[in-house]
Amino acid sequence: MSNYFYVAPEQLIKDRAEFAQKGIARGRSIVAAIYDVGVVLVAENPSASLYKISEIYDRIAFAGVGKYNEFDRLREAGIRWADGTGYTYSREDVDARALANYYAQHLGDMFTEGQKPLEVEILVAQLGNKFRPTKLYRIAYEGTISDEADFAVLGGDAETIMGRFADLEVGHLTLAQTLQNAVSALAGPERELPVGDLEVGVLEDRGDRRTFARLEDEQIARLLT
Amino acid sequence: MGLPLFDAQSDPGPSFVRFAEMAGLTLPPATSNLSAHATTVVAVRFADGVVMVADRQATSYYVANRDVRKIEAADRYTALAVSGSAARGLEFIRLAQLSFEHYEKMSDSALSLEGKANYLSPLIQRNNLTSTLVVLPLLAGWDLAHQRGRIFEYDGAGGCYERQDFSVIGSGSPFADSTLRLGFKPDLSREDALALAALAIYEAADNDPSTGGPDFVRNIFPMMVTLTSEGFRELDQDITASTFRSINDRRAESGGVAGGTLR
Repeated sequence: MSNYFYVAPEQLIKDRAEFAQKGIARGRSIVAAIYDVGVVLVAENPSASLYKISEIYDRIAFAGVGKYNEFDRLREAGIRWADGTGYTYSREDVDARALANYYAQHLGDMFTEGQKPLEVEILVAQLGNKFRPTKLYRIAYEGTISDEADFAVLGGDAETIMGRFADLEVGHLTLAQTLQNAVSALAGPERELPVGDLEVGVLEDRGDRRTFARLEDEQIARLLT
Repeated sequence: MGLPLFDAQSDPGPSFVRFAEMAGLTLPPATSNLSAHATTVVAVRFADGVVMVADRQATSYYVANRDVRKIEAADRYTALAVSGSAARGLEFIRLAQLSFEHYEKMSDSALSLEGKANYLSPLIQRNNLTSTLVVLPLLAGWDLAHQRGRIFEYDGAGGCYERQDFSVIGSGSPFADSTLRLGFKPDLSREDALALAALAIYEAADNDPSTGGPDFVRNIFPMMVTLTSEGFRELDQDITASTFRSINDRRAESGGVAGGTLR
């Protein structure tokens, strides 16, 4: 016969939050920011093939920190949701806010009902057009969704990096300036981040339907000089 | 639709069709004889890639539509054309386009041209063996890995065959095929390949009532496309118009007689 011990809900939530925070804090951070003509996502990621930033749809990008297998499954679900919705209705009907809400619901459910909370923090970015605004939706491990006005930082060291970035980024700058600010905010005063450790994705109108692009190392190096 | 999450055993992977079936987005094929169809599309390999030309008419018992686009870019380097049922054909193009993009986003690498060609086989097989609304596609593209233009044609049961010279689909095929057979040479120039493919469509439209020719009244001309290392390019209407106008002028001069030469 098994024994059940009573655990106060406050304690349970606290334990779960601590567990998730610890997992997320182990990974490195991501800065996402709106610049004059687009959205840039910058991650510190030494791996050249296990991406943290990716394309979801024509004008939507995804970024995740924490446990790779957990946020990658969310990324796949996002692509399926977007392609499925666009196929059923129209490409115009695929909205980042709806996707962010589904993510928030799922993370919230896993936090309260799952075996363990997901150790991830994710971001859904949308490049605006005539019909929709440019948006950054940040979704925390417990399902809290926040709509960030100009930039968002994900990961363990978010507060510090956010402070550094806010000091540098005044208004909507060019891609090069915003990227430089994001990199120096991620690195901090004592470190220098090599180009090879950066993963950068942008959403920008180039005349194509698909607006997402991954920047190559040379492109990043050129923008940083 | 909720957030489509799967566990590792039931995950449909990067295939959009498998996912769509699991999520109930696709309907099982139904049977009916009502459809607009008939077409001619040709694809010809030349030195730097592939050219494709297609007529624009959808036909049932009457002309259903005069400006159908039967060739679409499946992605930057691939074109997909369809003949057969218009409804199924256009849906087929949509599904193929989405499937290639879905794969690319899910796995962060584009499908190879051969991978795209093979992916279509079971879709054709399932459609054509369960429904009378038959679809026959034609896939052509620039193969980035092997740096050459390639053409893949299919039979009704989904069999996929690569062609080294040219391929033809649709009701006007016999006439277009004869023209290409007489005029084709390996390593044609871009201009010669376009002229030959346009002539093949002109011949098909001249002989097959369900293939639309150049429409000088409404200014609608067959679609002309090139696939090279620069990707999918559709020729502007003034170029397609002048191409077909010159064929028509030559034919008018000879009183409608092809004259035994390819002109």
